[in-house]
Amino acid sequence: MSRLLVLLVCFFGLAGPAGAERLVSQVSNETVEITSSFSGERMSFFGAIIPDAGSDQKYVEGPFHVVVVVLGPTQNRVARQKTNVLGVWLNTDQVEFTSFPSYFHVLSSGRLTDITDITTLTANRILPESHTLAVNSQDWWKGAVFGRELVRLMTEQGLFGVQENAVNFPADNFYSARLTLPSNAPPGPYIALTYVFKNGEIIARKSEGFAVRKIGFERFLAQSSVQQPLLYGLVCVVLALFTGWLGGVLFKR
Amino acid sequence: MQVYLPIAELSVNLFFLVGIGGAVGFLSGLFGVGGGFLLTPLLIFSGVPAPVAVASVTGQVVAASTSGALAHYRRGAVDLHLALYLVLSGILGAFGGVAAFALLRDAGQLDLVISVGFLVLLGSVGALMLVESTRAILKQRQGVVIRERLPNQHSWIHGLPMRVRFKKSRLYVSVLPVLIIGLFIGFVGSLLGIGGGFIMVPALVYLLRVPGNVVIGTSLAQVVAMMAATTILHAVQSQSVDIMLAFCLMVGGTAGAQFGASAGKYLRGEQLRGLLALLVLAVAIRFGLSLVLAPADVFSMAVTGLNQ
Repeated sequence: MSRLLVLLVCFFGLAGPAGAERLVSQVSNETVEITSSFSGERMSFFGAIIPDAGSDQKYVEGPFHVVVVVLGPTQNRVARQKTNVLGVWLNTDQVEFTSFPSYFHVLSSGRLTDITDITTLTANRILPESHTLAVNSQDWWKGAVFGRELVRLMTEQGLFGVQENAVNFPADNFYSARLTLPSNAPPGPYIALTYVFKNGEIIARKSEGFAVRKIGFERFLAQSSVQQPLLYGLVCVVLALFTGWLGGVLFKR
Repeated sequence: MQVYLPIAELSVNLFFLVGIGGAVGFLSGLFGVGGGFLLTPLLIFSGVPAPVAVASVTGQVVAASTSGALAHYRRGAVDLHLALYLVLSGILGAFGGVAAFALLRDAGQLDLVISVGFLVLLGSVGALMLVESTRAILKQRQGVVIRERLPNQHSWIHGLPMRVRFKKSRLYVSVLPVLIIGLFIGFVGSLLGIGGGFIMVPALVYLLRVPGNVVIGTSLAQVVAMMAATTILHAVQSQSVDIMLAFCLMVGGTAGAQFGASAGKYLRGEQLRGLLALLVLAVAIRFGLSLVLAPADVFSMAVTGLNQ
């Protein structure tokens, strides 16, 4: 039911305002390369709101609000709860969330609740909590509680976040936003969704993809551990034996 | 300087890794143990995911034990016949351990089992060693001459069937206890990411009455072979061996072990055993506290699968 609702809202959202504005946008990096010394990467998202090609408008009229949503590759994730059983703390309860983004950051030009209403935010999955709706649990309340805790844990790891002052307008119709990808950003395909709001309504949107991937030796290692696990294990052992032997020789034990 | 770990998918300070590898290597050289029981918890506490920590330390233990095993082998202090029995049953146990590892990880109880396992094993072995070494130190102070246990002293274990002669250890003993020890250490070692040297040595000495001159060498040889097999099993089954992490630890560990070994010459056997016992007990208490004290955060999370 909720999915149908999301679909409907999306449909009307797209079809609704026959906007006279258009968004041109760009991401600073098309690929973020993870090298052996990878310790995070600064990215910027920028663009301009211009009159639509077909319209006879010469300029656009604001004020505009821009929200950039950066989404990482999705995973299945569980949130677990420890309880005290006979004096010992152990995991007793868990809820699994399927297709949960491994990275989710929202950059906006103001408070999200000032930009638009909660329904629009949830329908477009701009709020972190809206990603916890796809839950593998019969119990809705439990799903909501664990979902909130999962968002909190992800936020503590720097993988989730909402920055409500990260989008700047150097000119009336030109915006730019900065984001620092942390070093634990999971590799995979990323998507940056940009929404332009005017008077609480989405008047333009655009999405750009970029990839975070391991390159060179790191890529080779990660791939061979999955594709040639036996060989990979053997190489580990040979490396260990050689290092141990060399240590003994070098230090004349 | 940060180094990116491709399997753990996070970047860690290189000097931190080599540093803890070196520190643990020093202790392992000093006490003649693999040091896995210290390294695995240290890595987990510093943010490396538990499965990656356990699997990668397995590789490091191979490196840490190799130079010692070679040195003992050259001195002729390795009973290869006995080690072969231990290794074969150990690999069988490791299959079970790696399978249990995967099952527990999926059920979300791996951390619990690791904590309880460390608590029970380290707690009991540490307490036994502490009692034994304190007694030895006290007796020495009183001037009592301790009579070495003779290899021909027998217990009920020596009455079991299927006896095999181990020439180098001067033993004629049933293979059943040998195989059981191997199985147990293989299972526990692969599950907890430890070599099991600190269980193997007392088991060989007190249960099988293996003479002192071949105990350490045989135990080290067994650790090398069994941990090598376990590394491959982890690589194939859970793909969580991080070769970068393991290599950084190996480099620190092998260097540290050499300094530890030379420092060990200034301490006496029972003093060393007493210190090791305290260390083992401290780790056990740390795990025990993590079980009973209220955790800082009752919620935790884990990735259960990719869905792209």
